[in-house]
Amino acid sequence: MDALGINLPGLVTQIISFGILFFILSKLLYKPLVSLMDQRAEKIREGLEASNIAREEAARSEEAIQEQLSEARVEGQKLVAEARETADRFREEEMARVRDDIELERVRAEANIQRERDAAIEDLRKEFAGLAISAAEKVVRTSLDEDGHKELIESVLEESTSGNN
Amino acid sequence: MAKLLGSPKALSITIVIAAVFVVSILGGALGNSLGFGFLSSSLPAIQLPAEIVVQGFDTPVGDWDLMNTMVTTWLAIIVLAVVAIFVRKGLSEVPGRLQALFELVMEFFINLCEGIAGPENGRRFFPLVFTIFIFIVVANWMGILPGFGTIGRVADPSEIAHHHGVHHYSDPAEDQGHQTGSSHKKASGHGEEHSGHLEKVNLHVFSGTGGIAILQPGSLNEEITFHDYEEAHGDVGEGKRAGHLVPFLRSANTDVNMTLAMALIAMVMVHYWGLSILGSLTHLGKFINFKDGPIGFFVGILEIISEFAKIISFTFRLFGNIFAGEVLLMAMGFLLPMIGIIPFLGLELFVGVIQALIFSMLTLVFASMASVAHGDEEHH
Repeated sequence: MDALGINLPGLVTQIISFGILFFILSKLLYKPLVSLMDQRAEKIREGLEASNIAREEAARSEEAIQEQLSEARVEGQKLVAEARETADRFREEEMARVRDDIELERVRAEANIQRERDAAIEDLRKEFAGLAISAAEKVVRTSLDEDGHKELIESVLEESTSGNN
Repeated sequence: MAKLLGSPKALSITIVIAAVFVVSILGGALGNSLGFGFLSSSLPAIQLPAEIVVQGFDTPVGDWDLMNTMVTTWLAIIVLAVVAIFVRKGLSEVPGRLQALFELVMEFFINLCEGIAGPENGRRFFPLVFTIFIFIVVANWMGILPGFGTIGRVADPSEIAHHHGVHHYSDPAEDQGHQTGSSHKKASGHGEEHSGHLEKVNLHVFSGTGGIAILQPGSLNEEITFHDYEEAHGDVGEGKRAGHLVPFLRSANTDVNMTLAMALIAMVMVHYWGLSILGSLTHLGKFINFKDGPIGFFVGILEIISEFAKIISFTFRLFGNIFAGEVLLMAMGFLLPMIGIIPFLGLELFVGVIQALIFSMLTLVFASMASVAHGDEEHH
């Protein structure tokens, strides 16, 4: 033992020295640093989890948005189609109504024209009858020569044209 | 080769290296036998026990003296404590360089502990395992710094004689002033008792009388044996004195006390963990076993012996490696001054960290073995 240098006081001193070192290092180094490292690892894990969740959520909301978009598109198409249909119907109706109106106007105008013509014809006939009667009166009243007849008819006609005008 | 010598820069470097080699060989031990040896120094007295720097006090169990390995141990502890304080002060979530270094090493050890002993026990074993590792590394690497083993005080011949078992040696140099005859008789009388053992011990001659001496290059020839010293009545020349260098600093793990202290702490903690994890009955049952008949009992006794063998192997593996490293560096410095030591410094750096790793890993393995009941492995 002596030859190796082992002696009890020296051994105890070194044991105490190592114990002090152990104490110092655990107080100053291990506890704070290990807990810091653990905290950081925890934080990183949480961060990763959070980012995973966020990514999933983003994917989910993306899907929802896509769905809504397609829904909206379908809805829009439906609306457009409906609007077009309504417009078509409206136009048809309007056109039909206009056509009816026109028809009605035409019928009315035709009736008017008919009536006017009938009235004109009636007037004309009446006038002719009057003319014929007056011409006949004149013929009967005056002497019947050729020149006299001719002048008479012409005067009647002249009277009638100027009277007509 | 031609290319090497062609460039003036390479040529001059080659010449310088060759010159250093020649000077080193001639100045070293080989040159000494040819009559040169201007660089070589005396080999310091190599001894297993640590040297006493300051005489201490008596205790009931022996003398407490301040050993040079204790000084180094405390230096290593101070270095580690200062570094730890720096790390603690600059502790932040985003690590600085020093903190990152420690995190790297500690993370490595935590992973190792958790890998070998499981997550729960690993965390429990980690502080001791890491303390052992970092202390041994720092102590070993400090031990190869310049100044270790070469700067110290001079132990006078009577102290050396005391060390060699001659407890009443009187130094002729001190007695010379009084009556030379009787004291000389007394001294040589003791020398005869020890049948010339002491007479062959070499003393180094140091110049100067101050408190601090340095083993310097070129002092190889200034050696004198005890016999010659007594013949000369302690007169080694004007302003000189004979004795041994007692270095102030010596690598902490070249002292069996230090390595034994760590081995004891490690094994005590291993068994403490064994007791607290398995329960005292299961753990002690590994060593005192009546259940499995006489063979089981015998195996238990073998286990007890192997536990003591672990302490001894812990102690002497580290001690032997580091002590041998010191001697190797000394010898290389002696054989090839200046350059012989360079490759071995690298080797010692490597050995220093490897031994630290072995000590801490074995502690961890023993601890994880102690925390597992024996029966489990056998009955499976």
